[in-house]
Amino acid sequence: MVTAVAAAVPLGALLAAVAVLLVEALPAIRYDGWHFLTGSAWRPGNYYGNPVRTGGVLHPVGASYGALPLILGTLESSVIAVIVAFPVAVGAAVLVVEKLPRRIAGAVGFCLEVLAGIPSVVFGLWGVLSFGPWLARDVYPALTHLPNVPPLDIFHGPVGAGEGLLTSGLVLAAMIVPIIAATTRDLLRQVPETTKEGADALGMTHAEAFRAVQVRWVRTGVLGALVLGLGRALGETIALALVSGTVLSSATSIYGTMTTVAATIVSLLDSAQTDPTGLAVRALAEAALVLLVITLAVNVGARVLVRRSARGAALPIGAGF
Amino acid sequence: MVREASWSDVRVESTGARREGTAATMSARDVRLGFGSVTVMEDITVDLPPGSITALVGPSGSGKTTFLRSLNRMNDKVRSFWSEGEILLDGQEIHGRDVDPLVLRRRVGMVFQRPNPFPMSIQDNVVAGVRAHRMARRSAMRDIAETRLAEVGLWSAVADRLDDSPFRLSGGQQQLLCLARALAVEPEVLLLDEPTSSLDPRSTEAVEELVRRLTPGITVVVVTHNLAQARRLSDNTVLFYQGRLVESGPTSQLFGRPSRPETARYLGGDADPAVLA
Repeated sequence: MVTAVAAAVPLGALLAAVAVLLVEALPAIRYDGWHFLTGSAWRPGNYYGNPVRTGGVLHPVGASYGALPLILGTLESSVIAVIVAFPVAVGAAVLVVEKLPRRIAGAVGFCLEVLAGIPSVVFGLWGVLSFGPWLARDVYPALTHLPNVPPLDIFHGPVGAGEGLLTSGLVLAAMIVPIIAATTRDLLRQVPETTKEGADALGMTHAEAFRAVQVRWVRTGVLGALVLGLGRALGETIALALVSGTVLSSATSIYGTMTTVAATIVSLLDSAQTDPTGLAVRALAEAALVLLVITLAVNVGARVLVRRSARGAALPIGAGF
Repeated sequence: MVREASWSDVRVESTGARREGTAATMSARDVRLGFGSVTVMEDITVDLPPGSITALVGPSGSGKTTFLRSLNRMNDKVRSFWSEGEILLDGQEIHGRDVDPLVLRRRVGMVFQRPNPFPMSIQDNVVAGVRAHRMARRSAMRDIAETRLAEVGLWSAVADRLDDSPFRLSGGQQQLLCLARALAVEPEVLLLDEPTSSLDPRSTEAVEELVRRLTPGITVVVVTHNLAQARRLSDNTVLFYQGRLVESGPTSQLFGRPSRPETARYLGGDADPAVLA
């Protein structure tokens, strides 16, 4: 009985979250329709005029909500974060487990864990006060000199002041590196010594043994770690509210200012509450619902991927992620 | 203390199918091994004749596994490990400047106490070493896998699931797979570290039967806690106690007419290490 209740709690919490958001967002969903996913303008309308009723939903004159820039900004910044963070994190984990002397590895591992626990507002402040301006001054100008061929030509264009898509992606990367690195490190440590010795005993080089044993042993779990990081990046709020530039439009270049779903919610909620019809808050709830669906889709997709890869990996039962 | 063990007069009879290969001689001369300031073994001088099965026996902690692992330099990775004296493979010092430990381990293969298949398909396991050393073309891998699996007597059991995980095999089958993997790189010497200690009697029998079949095409050195196994499997036996070689010679002689009283007491069924003290 107790176990049944305990087992039902996560499912219940998830269903409750979806249900609450759905109820909150319902008027906005009815008002915006599919336009919410395809439209690019986020207009609350005129709060001070007389509200009008369209399709049974009371709304300020001129209200129109299109969340496409928010959704794109969320996906773009998260993808950049994962592309940057993944090699760094896995490289760091391999270094810690395979290369560094034990004592230094312990110190690096400790730093990783501390990094993982830093509040995101600290990352945001660091990004907006120090990291972003530095990137805009010393790094981005250099990137614009990359060859003008795809895909490197995306780095051409005005670099801005350091708030924007690329800075957001990089700050997110810094935030998820510790998650992916710590998980990968733990997975690498679980690889049985005796299996590694089996590779050594065949006369394999360190690299060959690593490919034959460690890589195959951990890759499913590392995929899981990647999704964990991606999930964190998708939902990250305050850091992005600080470094994205929070303009309600898509980034026009990789350096351009933008926003994400989560950053928009946190930065607009205050003013939305002044909407006498309440629709602005409903629209934010609808945005939150979209974010939740994206996150769920990523997790389910990852689960399918992990399962497929686990089948190919031929791991012993219980090993891996 | 029997300093010099020699049994060059021992002839090893071929039993069953002869295995193609060139068995190598290994010998140790005044070997001393240790970790840091601790000496684990000393005064070890012994010959491991080509194509024979040599059993290394002795109570736990007598150093037999450490000695075995130094024959293919598996201890190199262990920090603070050191060794003195000579270990020779066909007359060549294995710590020599011109000896690549990776090549040495290819010539001196090893199978461990517990089966340790790689996390890849059964076929890929068998050819893992072959592939790493580029010993054959990609298209030949399936044939190599079949040959080696047949050699260890596992082919009929796994023929229709070569692409499956090895972890669904029984412990005994996994160990045979590891033997097939070790044999695939065509070693001249095979080191077995208590290869049957985690197996049931039937699997143990299968492994022993295989090891017997492998000689004299290959030189086998086997560490075992099981005195009965040493007796029925090996041509020669080496008894270690507390890091020293007590006695070595033909197995029948050590078990039948040991020259030292400690040997008689240890091999005579009373395996309590205290009798050696």
